[in-house]
Amino acid sequence: MKKFLKNIILFSIVILIIGEITVRVTYAVCDIPQRTIDKFGIQKYLPNQEGYWVGGDHKWVINALGWPGELPKSFDDLIVIIGDSYIENFMNPNEYRQSVLLKKNINKYNFMEAGRSGVSLIEAMEISKQLDSLKPIQTLVYVNDNDFYESIREIKALTDITQLQLDDKTIVYGKMKSPKIKKILYNWKLLYYLYNRFPLTSLSGKAEDSNKQKTNVDELKSKNKVFELLYYIKDNYDIRNKTLVFHPNMNMQLIEKCKSVGFNVIILDSNEDNNWTFDYDSHWTYYGHERAAQQVADALLIRK
Amino acid sequence: MLFNSVEFFLFLPVVFLLYWLIGGKRIKTQNVLIVISSYIFYGWWDWRFLFLILFSSLVDFSVGLLLNKTKKSYDRKVLLWVSICINLGFLGLFKYYNFFINSLVDSFTFFGSQLSVSTLNIILPVGISFYTFQTLSYTIDVYNRKLEPSKDFVGFMAFVSFFPQLVAGPIERATNLLPQFSIERKFSYSKGVDGLRQILWGLFKKIVIADNCAQYANIIFNNHTEYNGSTLLLGAFFFAFQIYGDFSGYSDIAIGVSRLFGFDLKQNFACPYFSRDIAEFWRRWHISLSTWFRDYLYIPLGGSKGGVKMKIRNTLIIFIVSGFWHGANWTFIVWGALNALYFLPLLLLNKNRINTNLVAEGNYLPSIKELGQMGFTFFLTLIAWVFFRADNILQALSYLKQMFSNTLFSWVEIFPSTILLLVLFFIFIEWFGRSNAHAFENLNFLNKPLRWSFYALLIVLIFSFTGEQQQFIYFQF
Repeated sequence: MKKFLKNIILFSIVILIIGEITVRVTYAVCDIPQRTIDKFGIQKYLPNQEGYWVGGDHKWVINALGWPGELPKSFDDLIVIIGDSYIENFMNPNEYRQSVLLKKNINKYNFMEAGRSGVSLIEAMEISKQLDSLKPIQTLVYVNDNDFYESIREIKALTDITQLQLDDKTIVYGKMKSPKIKKILYNWKLLYYLYNRFPLTSLSGKAEDSNKQKTNVDELKSKNKVFELLYYIKDNYDIRNKTLVFHPNMNMQLIEKCKSVGFNVIILDSNEDNNWTFDYDSHWTYYGHERAAQQVADALLIRK
Repeated sequence: MLFNSVEFFLFLPVVFLLYWLIGGKRIKTQNVLIVISSYIFYGWWDWRFLFLILFSSLVDFSVGLLLNKTKKSYDRKVLLWVSICINLGFLGLFKYYNFFINSLVDSFTFFGSQLSVSTLNIILPVGISFYTFQTLSYTIDVYNRKLEPSKDFVGFMAFVSFFPQLVAGPIERATNLLPQFSIERKFSYSKGVDGLRQILWGLFKKIVIADNCAQYANIIFNNHTEYNGSTLLLGAFFFAFQIYGDFSGYSDIAIGVSRLFGFDLKQNFACPYFSRDIAEFWRRWHISLSTWFRDYLYIPLGGSKGGVKMKIRNTLIIFIVSGFWHGANWTFIVWGALNALYFLPLLLLNKNRINTNLVAEGNYLPSIKELGQMGFTFFLTLIAWVFFRADNILQALSYLKQMFSNTLFSWVEIFPSTILLLVLFFIFIEWFGRSNAHAFENLNFLNKPLRWSFYALLIVLIFSFTGEQQQFIYFQF
């Protein structure tokens, strides 16, 4: 029995080493950038990192300010782009970022991105407050309906996302969820590969539920709370040069309310075009990003 | 719990360590641990059906004891029939009731009258066909005085619910498995290593071969009207390897896991696709079920001892019942009947036992004649698999009609070269291991680093080619 267990342990170690090498050499999982929380309570990335996306076809880059993508050559005539995983956009090469595509469309402006997966609307406003020090002429906040709901603690308390507590009008900053375990998971590539490849049933069930939430666009849920959030933003942030860029097929009642509060609004339209998103998730493809940037650029040019 | 799931990957080492470290050499403790872990294993799917297993165990244990006490032939017969009726009653209720009702309603409709009978809204308990046959073998063997009845209820419960083979076999004979629960079990290094090798090969068959072939078989079968004949032939080929990889893979894992716990189960598959005729195929495919039907149905019916009519009748009965055992659908019945038609000429010409030796014994490669025989036998099974896989008879006929059209000789519309290469690799390994109980039984001719590299290669392949987790096909039977 001892010999059997000893050999199993030894073989397991050999397999773990071979597996780790195989996963790293073949880029079977993507590299995950390390996060930090800055002095303002904003979760961002440790500056100047880079790593591979799955398959190793392209690299992602974290710039000196701790956000994905390259920084512009100049901060003059700056337009800041804030958003969640759609703007973070690790799944596409650098040339298909909104900042790069918008620069192609409107060369006279410089564009800078501040994207991180999970950013809620209220967190986007907090980020914009910090980035106002760069004196941008415009800030584009890419949003979908969920970013509004996830901003409100009374709808659902989410510890890892910055939220507004409507009761006492305080901002509750997000905390990093299990940072030590995540650090181990992201550095032990084989473990991360197995975790991704063979998710426990209960976990995958939850993921499915959250995806379903996004498809309900017919009615505005928790209307009063969402309106209260918008009034709070209007009273506490400078929204004069802020533009909300709504993803396609979002709730029209919500969009109208944002307009009435004083936001500039751009509504993206995918015309039921399936090529906008990947087959396996709802993020935008190269094509989706190109189309989105084109529509945003057109709207900005018309406004000028 | 599926063998190819994360849950089982965690469950097995825990049970293994408890079994040998706590159970030690104490048979009672080991049996109790087996019963508990088997009930957890089965209850993971649906705990309510544990009562069915428990009830079945109670009935057959009691009937066994009573058979031993009862001397009168008539009373013994009654007891036997009580066990048969209860066991087959449950099987009939859960598996066949709705089929019979629907068939009855369809027949009335066909003759122009309406019959209103409601079906039952019930699910089929996983593995019911397997453990029912296993417990039946116990009662029949005790009745025939081939086996002493068990007086240890825990040991008997462990025999009925033994988790490695509970839900998809092999269907073990009480004469082989039950006595193993009452003898001292010591851990054997060589048996443990061999068990792990067989588990690894079983996982490869299931995850790499069966699950990947399933993707293409499903695409082609579900859209068969859109493909040409050669693609449909390829679809049947994929299904043939899907079902073989799936079922023999499960059996390999079951046998391997049993060996880790000190048990020896019977071989269930012996490279059936290398058979030179259908009779040989049936001696190599699902051996535990074929021999069950032979011993408990075919021989009691008279076997092949009677005249030609008796031979034909008995062969048709055994194949059709075997088909029906697989599922309550006419497709399985036709599959069974078709195999009977393949088999009967061999039986009537007394040629059903000419290929009892190993193909190309002592040679690396088969002769041209053997290759032709194997190819023809495989082709016959492919046609039968179409009925097995199809949703209904009409779909199967339409599939075959399209397959044997002019387009049979045109180029395939789907050509997944990687999967086909993996199937070739699989056939290669099976061919060179065909004389063993499983393909990896004799790997000791390789030195340790080479052996371990080979295991590592298989593990990497398993993880690399894991697609969507598919349930084992034979669970539904």
